[in-house]
Amino acid sequence: MSGIIGAVLLLTAFGYLGGVTWVNLGTAILLTTYRLAFAYGIALVLGSTIALLVGWSPLAELLFPVFDVLQNIPSFALIPLFIYFFGFTSEMIILFAVSSIIWPILFAVLTAIKSAHTDLNDAATIFGARGLRRIHYYLAPLSFPAILTGSIVGIAIGWEAVIGAEIITNIAGFGNYIREASSLGISQAMIAGTFAILVIVFVLNRLVWAPLLAESSRRYAE
Amino acid sequence: MTSTEPMSLVLSRVSASYTDEIKNAAVLKDISFSVPTGSFVSIIAPSGAGKSTLMRVILDLMPHTSGDIVRNFSRPAMVFQSYALFPWLSTLDNVAFGLRMSNMNRKDRDTLAREKLKEVGLEHLETHYPATLSGGQRQRVGLARALAISPDLLILDEPFSSLDTITAEALKADLLKIWRTYGMTILMVNHLIPDAVELSDEIIIMNKNPGRIEKICTIDLLRPRDVRSEPFFKHVDRVTEAIRVLS
Repeated sequence: MSGIIGAVLLLTAFGYLGGVTWVNLGTAILLTTYRLAFAYGIALVLGSTIALLVGWSPLAELLFPVFDVLQNIPSFALIPLFIYFFGFTSEMIILFAVSSIIWPILFAVLTAIKSAHTDLNDAATIFGARGLRRIHYYLAPLSFPAILTGSIVGIAIGWEAVIGAEIITNIAGFGNYIREASSLGISQAMIAGTFAILVIVFVLNRLVWAPLLAESSRRYAE
Repeated sequence: MTSTEPMSLVLSRVSASYTDEIKNAAVLKDISFSVPTGSFVSIIAPSGAGKSTLMRVILDLMPHTSGDIVRNFSRPAMVFQSYALFPWLSTLDNVAFGLRMSNMNRKDRDTLAREKLKEVGLEHLETHYPATLSGGQRQRVGLARALAISPDLLILDEPFSSLDTITAEALKADLLKIWRTYGMTILMVNHLIPDAVELSDEIIIMNKNPGRIEKICTIDLLRPRDVRSEPFFKHVDRVTEAIRVLS
């Protein structure tokens, strides 16, 4: 991290980043981050809920291959559909990103439930975690590490989805910002943007994922 | 055992098999035995004889393909060889899990769970998570979790097999004390003959391919049992001989 900051300071000191319009860049990054956060929130709730319900139900074996086929559809191939239904709007980008982020979360949770030790499943049943209560008291906490790893992968895919959709649809955001900078040949803006995204990813990792991963490995270690 | 004794469990010609492509085979064949209420019954069997499957069938966790099972118990509990503690819960919350599922309020269930932890000598570890406990401690938490729901049938699946000798001996003494105190019915899967003779009223000897009962030995030694006495060794010899014939 100190390397990134050092590089930015050096480039600024030498006047290389002088031509960057920081307000525009900041606004673009904020828009993209907001869309990603919103999309992640929806994908997290939807993905884990569907996975928990499917994992709990006797239909899990039947639905797993269906989900597998669906998640293999290249998400960018679906962008015309999203544009058709939602137009060139911020909502369209958010929902498009949801369609990408949801799969790692859904599959991580389903796999965690599917691969749970038989004895642990039996213990939950014997001691009363039956019916819908099983989801709240057993399957959801069991899936916590999977939700976490699914989220980390999902967010990474989400950045690509949101920025990619912004580039394709020319809707304001970081994708649109670097597309314009690239077409105008302003490489400083692209470099500054890349640095800014790296900082966000780093901060997110240090403040959110790293503590959660540490807690997960502390509690869930065998 | 007399025919007028109340029975916690009666199995009549019970068979079970796996139906998936990988394990499509009969696991249990014509299993018949009864467990009198308040008795301590052990099952000794070689690996692969379907002991764990039998426990799962008894607890209705998997279906049986034929035969009848009469279950005269309402609150079964089980102690697992693999401990099967919930890793995300503290020791206290693990013990209180069954109470929570029966809607007992937080204060009462914590009090009861603390009592059970004290009974197994782990009251000082209530805030610890399973990952930080030794094998013996985990097994005791598993026992406390089972005792917390006041079970009328306690199933123990090889409870000593993952433990060192000293820990296993201590746990065995606790188990006997608990059995005498609560008067519950205990069905224990075990592979150590002296342990089974020391603890049990009856020993069911199973064989494999498919899992079936070969012999049921009654242990009529008075309690508390002197494990250095001649009658004790005679019983151990008798059971050992019955098992040797199988192999």
